[in-house]
Amino acid sequence: MGVIEKIPVPQPMKFILNWGRRYSLWVMNFGLACCAIEFIAVSDPKHDFIRLGVIPFAHGPRQADLLVVAGTVTDKMAPALKRVYDQIPDPKYVISFGSCSNCGGPYWDSYSVTKGVDQMIPVDVYVPGCPPRPEALLHGIIRLQEKIAGEDIREKWSGKLTRPAPAEAT
Amino acid sequence: MASSRDRPPLKPPEVGERLRAQFGEDVSDVTDQDGHAVVTISVGRFRELVQTLRDDPDFDCDYFDFSSAVDYPEQGQLEVVTHLYSNARNHNIRVKVRVPRDEPRCPSIADLYPGANWSERETWELFGVVFEDHPHLVKLVLPEPFEGYPLRKDFVLMSRRAKPWPGAPEGEEEEEEE
Repeated sequence: MGVIEKIPVPQPMKFILNWGRRYSLWVMNFGLACCAIEFIAVSDPKHDFIRLGVIPFAHGPRQADLLVVAGTVTDKMAPALKRVYDQIPDPKYVISFGSCSNCGGPYWDSYSVTKGVDQMIPVDVYVPGCPPRPEALLHGIIRLQEKIAGEDIREKWSGKLTRPAPAEAT
Repeated sequence: MASSRDRPPLKPPEVGERLRAQFGEDVSDVTDQDGHAVVTISVGRFRELVQTLRDDPDFDCDYFDFSSAVDYPEQGQLEVVTHLYSNARNHNIRVKVRVPRDEPRCPSIADLYPGANWSERETWELFGVVFEDHPHLVKLVLPEPFEGYPLRKDFVLMSRRAKPWPGAPEGEEEEEEE
């Protein structure tokens, strides 16, 4: 990583590194509600996100690249989610899956539900739906991969994008 | 253990009869709701009643199903509802206790039914009913700094303050469709 931080990465190298990263996303499923079931459906043979290089066998957040928040985040659960996010090493990505984690969803007026997971952690891709179809998550993953492909690796690996929390989310 | 075939379930009127004989005026109401006996008892003898339901072989309520509360702001009361069930005889008995809303205190039954422990903690944090002699009355599902009792009807939902409920209340909605 040292070299990458010091000199500008040539375009071909950048392409190869980003190509490698976008098709090797070890995913951490933060499943909290019915959306987690849809997530499981995406990992099953019918939809099969492993063909996109999303690998659902991360043993813990420390070995993951991608965090999928699937479900209703409550204020009580929020610190745990923040902790999981902090444990994931840079570069890391977050997909907010489903209306609840996007904005509170049907619980928009609840006393206990966090109105959007982006209040705590930066989100790269929002997948709308209640719950979204598995295809929607596949689409979200492809959008994320497009984003990774266009990334400046120096900036991303510096961690500047993830450390000063929310505002930076696209 | 005797099966439910040997001992048929007690019917709500039978439950009422037996409890009235023992508790007299303290049992203010016994009704039949879908085959479940619903007993309203004064706070003072609530614990005694629950103990009777558990220990009396006639009732034999060996299973604590749930307990919660209902808010009645017009009457200035909270109603603590405890649902008991008998596996041996296959009958349901619901016990209701009315407590004043401004100082809701109710005896705990967590030592009679360990399952009531968490239910009472929840009822305490969501409705503000204080369960006397509860072994560990601290918040369960709400985050620690939370203030107020969210399931009381006068609890203000801040999101609704900013944006009123867009739909019609339940019931009225159906009429519109017709």
